[in-house]
Order: sequence, then C-alpha cells, then structure tokens
Amino acid sequence: MLQAISLSKSYNGVRALDSLDLLIEPGQIFCLLGANGAGKTTTINLFLNFIEASAGQALVDGMDVAEHPLETKKRLAYIPEQVMLYRNLSGLENVEYFTALAGREDTSRDQLRQLLLQSGLPREAIEQRVSGYSKGMRQKVGIVIAVAKRAGALLLDEPTSGLDPKASNEFSELLERLRGEGVAVLMATHDLFRAKETGTHIGIMKQGRLVEQLAAEEIGHADLERLYLEHMRG
Amino acid sequence: MLLRIARKEFVEMARDGRFRIAGGIVLALLLTSLGLGWQRHGEVTEAHQTAIAQERQIWESQGEKNPHSAAHYGVYAFKPTGRLAFFDPGTEAYTGVTVFLEGHKQNQFLYRPARDGNTLQRFGELTAAAVLQLLIPLLIILLAFSTFAGERESGTLRQLLSLGVRRRDLALGKALGVAAALGLLLVPATLLGSAALASAQADAASGGLLRALAMAGAYLIYLGSFVGVTLAVSARARSAQFALVTLLAVWVFVCLMAPRAATDLARSLHPTPSAHEFAAALAEDRDGGIQDVNYDDYLELRKTELLAEYEAERVEDLPINYNGWRLDVSEEYANQFFDRHYARLWDQFEAQDGLRQKAGFVAPILAVRSLSMALAGTDFSHFRRFAEQSELYRRELVTFLNADLRDNAGPQGFGYTQTEAFWAETPAFAYDAPDAGWALAGESASLAALLAWFLAAGVWAWRGALRMEAI
Repeated sequence: MLQAISLSKSYNGVRALDSLDLLIEPGQIFCLLGANGAGKTTTINLFLNFIEASAGQALVDGMDVAEHPLETKKRLAYIPEQVMLYRNLSGLENVEYFTALAGREDTSRDQLRQLLLQSGLPREAIEQRVSGYSKGMRQKVGIVIAVAKRAGALLLDEPTSGLDPKASNEFSELLERLRGEGVAVLMATHDLFRAKETGTHIGIMKQGRLVEQLAAEEIGHADLERLYLEHMRG
Repeated sequence: MLLRIARKEFVEMARDGRFRIAGGIVLALLLTSLGLGWQRHGEVTEAHQTAIAQERQIWESQGEKNPHSAAHYGVYAFKPTGRLAFFDPGTEAYTGVTVFLEGHKQNQFLYRPARDGNTLQRFGELTAAAVLQLLIPLLIILLAFSTFAGERESGTLRQLLSLGVRRRDLALGKALGVAAALGLLLVPATLLGSAALASAQADAASGGLLRALAMAGAYLIYLGSFVGVTLAVSARARSAQFALVTLLAVWVFVCLMAPRAATDLARSLHPTPSAHEFAAALAEDRDGGIQDVNYDDYLELRKTELLAEYEAERVEDLPINYNGWRLDVSEEYANQFFDRHYARLWDQFEAQDGLRQKAGFVAPILAVRSLSMALAGTDFSHFRRFAEQSELYRRELVTFLNADLRDNAGPQGFGYTQTEAFWAETPAFAYDAPDAGWALAGESASLAALLAWFLAAGVWAWRGALRMEAI
C-alpha cells in the first residue's frame, strides 16, 4: 500500500510537488499523467527516499519512508525510465546480482533465466554482456529485476519507454497479473492509452499539483484525452 | 551479501580491459623490481661474504711487523645486509655499507653507489618497495575511483539503493572487491617474494620472519588507507571524472610533493655539512684543542702524570714503552673529537628522519617508507648502530695493538715485531644485529601516522557511503 499525505517538495522556493494526497490500495494501479516537470518523477523519488520531502509524508504499508528507509525499500520494487545495468556483466548476471541484493538470494539461476525468457529477452542474449543490449532489452531486464523482488508495491517511471508495442502489451498483461496478486502500483506515464487500459485509477498532474483524480472505468478514451488536454491548456 | 557485492566488483574489474592493462603493467613492474632486487642483493651478499672471509685471513697472514704498523694496515668492516634488503635497499646506496678501520682516525663509509649514480637515479631506483609505495596506490585509485561516482552517474546506484541494500554493506563489499583485485597482483608477488626471501643468502638472519610480517602489515595498512580515501572521494564526488581528478591530485601531493617538501624542510631545519665541510670542521676543532688545550699541551700534562705514577725522571726510565703509551694517548685525545663531531652529524640525520616520520601524518608514504626501511634494516638507525659498533671495535683493536707495543716492546720500540700467532689473537669484529623490536622502537611516529591515516580513511569512507546521494 502506498500513501502520500500532503507530500511536498520545493527546490529553491519552487514547488516541484505541492501537497500531494494519494492512497493506492493493494490491487490498484494508479497511473500518473502529466507533462515533463509536472512532478511525477519527484513523487517516485520521494517514495524511494532519494530526496527529502519539504513537508508531508510518504508511507509504504503505513511506514514513513524517511524514518524506515531500509524497511520500506524492501517492500518496493522500482523500474526507472532508463534501466541501467552493469555493462561488463551478462543480463543474467545483472538480474542475479540485483535479486540477491534485494534479499531474494533463494531464487535459483534457472528461475531467473525463465523470467528473462518470459520477459521476451532473446534466449541468446541472456548470457551476453549487456553492453550490447538495446534500450528495450535493458528495460525488459529491469522488469525482471522488479518482478523477481516480489515486492508488495511497484514504482514505475515510464517503464515501457523504448519497448515495442508487443512488449508493451506483454508488460500490461504482467501488470494485470500482479494486480490480481494484490500488488499496489504507482506508474508515471505519458501514454494515455496504456493508462486507460491498465490503470484502475488515473491522476493528472500539473506543475506539482494533482489536478484530477478518477477511476479508470468512469471515463472513456476520448474523454480522458479531452480532459488531459484541457488541463494542459488551461 | 558482502561477498556477493565484492565478487561483482571483482568480476567487473577483471573483465574491464583498462584495469587488466593497468594491473598487468604494475604486476610486471613489481616482478621486475623483485627480480632486480634479488639479483643485486645476491651479488652484494656474495661479495660481502667473500670479503668478510678473506678479510680476517688477510689480517692474520700479514706477516711479521710492528703492532702499530698493523694498526695502519687496518681492517675492513662490512655491514651485514638482512634478507629484506633486497625488497627495500633503503638508504644504503647513500650511506654505504663498508668502512675501513685503522689507527688514528674514524673514517667515513666507503662504497656509496649513489655517488657514482647518473641523473636518472635521482628518480629513484626501481625497487619493489617503491612500486608498493607509489604505484599500487595509483592502481587503487584507477580501480576504485568510479566505484560510487560512476554508479551514480550511470544510474545503477539509484537502482541498487532502491533495493533496500544497507549502505555500509555496499561500502564494505566494494572495499573487499578492490582488495580482491589487488590480491590478484599482490598475493602471487608476495608468494614469490617470500620464496625468494626464504632462499636468500643473508649475513644476518636475526628477527627475519617477524620483520617480514611487520612489514607486510605496514604495507597492508598503508594500501588499505588508500582504498578508504578512494571510496570516500568516490562517494562524495559529483561525477566519476571529478573523483578521478581529485584522487590524482591527492596522489601527486601525498606521494610526490609532500615527501620532497618534507625532505627539504628537514634539511633546512636540521642542516648537515657536506663530507668536505665535515672533515674541515673536525680538523679545525682538533687543532684548536679542548678548552684551548692542544694536543702537545695535553700530552705534556699526561706525561707528567705518567712519570709521577712510576716515580721516574725521564721516559727512558719507564718500565713501559713510552711510544706505545703515547699512541694510546693520541687515540684517546682524537676520539673525543670524533665522538663529538660524528654524534652531532648523526643526531642531525636522526632529527631529519624524525621529522620525516612526523610528516607521515600529512603524507602516509613517508610513514610507510620509514617503517619499511627500518624493518628491512636499511635505514639510518641501522646504519648508525653499525657505524658505532664498528668504531668501538676499531678502538678496541687499536688499543689492543698499542697496549702490546707499550707493554712488550721495551727499548726495541718501533723495531719490535709480532708474528702471525699474535694477529690470530686480536679481537675479531662481530656485529650485533638488532631484532624487529629494536627496529620498531624508533618508529613510533611512523606507526602512529599510518594507523591515524587508516582509521581516518575508514571513518571518512564510512560516513561518505552513509551520506551519499542516490541521484
């Protein structure tokens, strides 16, 4: 469960995030829409305790992330917009390393290999060094790292950037499955279509404020697009 | 967890071509320097042992002559070099290891290779000690400068920290990884060095193992502090490039500039005369006499005492040989000047060494250099100990010879001779080589400086890792 209470962040007096209130229950996928600089990544960085909140709280399973930095991170999995890996290690070695450090040392190498195959990574690429990987391939490895952590909450920052439509679609299916398992997901995205398809809830951010918050089934594609553009213009 | 982090760091370094090349070059230099030191040490030791064996034989077979002529004939004394000298020849190239012992004067040491050296030698000889002191720290910097800064720049640090990894595990694991990569170079080199050490010929074996262990410990602490500093800078630097530039600046200051500055400072605070000035000052002082009593007056004084003691009118009436007695008095007179001048000179050198040890708090290379030389038995303290013992022996030998002339020559005087049986009875020189404890006793400032650096670097790296930014 992810919760933000009056969460704010200022940089030199400029409000990057302004009194965000948010509650994402297990089994919900909350899609944050908004232009660049609207505060989506700031929100995710605050949940990861990478930056210090100017005011308010970010809670994971009811624990303040600033007070319990390690415990809350154990309950989170994170996929950045650009998944970065160790170039001199193979895809499998990268996944092994991250999974072990996430505290899932019990996961066998075969299980990880299986997960990589399921993610759509070509079989021959698994043992190759990631210096030769495309952005999409790195993103798939990042998804596997997050899945293998088996965390109760997911923080996704444009996770499908660089993925082809097929892989994107597979990722949506994966999210659907995780949702069924009771995972709470916070996803920052530009993709209105994907947000409507996979999200259970949708929020629109503008200049650090959450200006709209609605359930996905309440609105159609066309209406969502119109609503979004209205906010961007207005 | 720690081991997994260490292993990943190690694997990454091992697979990176740049590190392989840098490591290969340093390993090659280390092995070459060990080989060169080994060869040089073998030659010198062999020459010494031959010389020591022959020296006594030459002395004993010098034929029939007056004991005082034998004092002029003289003997050579050789400072025994311990096994570890091949690793760190220290100051021996400057101080020399051989001295000619003869009647009337305390000589300067002979065979100082640095005097015949070319300008290239000013950059220092390629010794295994220099590789460990100068180049391995540089390699540590190259191996580890990007460890945090590079991961932060590329974005992997963000992902790593999002996993809920304890930062102290990360710092320790990375330090272990660097240590493992270094071990890849140092362990084979150490094994090779130990094998060489075990089979090395040595004049003095005293405390060899303890000295070697203490030396290994000192180098580990020294290199460990460089690992700490590198991690600390990497944790705090904005970028990997910034970390590298900062660390290289630290290296240049600590390893190149500070030692040079410390030496210059030591020289200006505790100036030493040149060999020529020293000899001139000694001669001038001796001619001036003690409290304005010159040698002739001094001899006259002692002669009066002597005649009174034997209740004799003239020296011819004495039951002893006057010339033998007079030679002893002249030794006694001259030795006071040697004692005073050499002690003053050597005290200055020791004060310079002491200052360099304390400068180890600024630049740890000075501390480890001092410790390394002390443990190898090639520093100034060991030189002084040998010089003082050999001088005591010179006086013992000359007194022995003069006493024979005084007591047994009678009216024959300088016509009196002794034979080979007598030369065999003269005392032989045996150097009492000090143990590891003695070597370390004078190094308390170096030890303190080295430990202070190690602890400070550790704390700094620790705090740096705990406080570093993820993004």
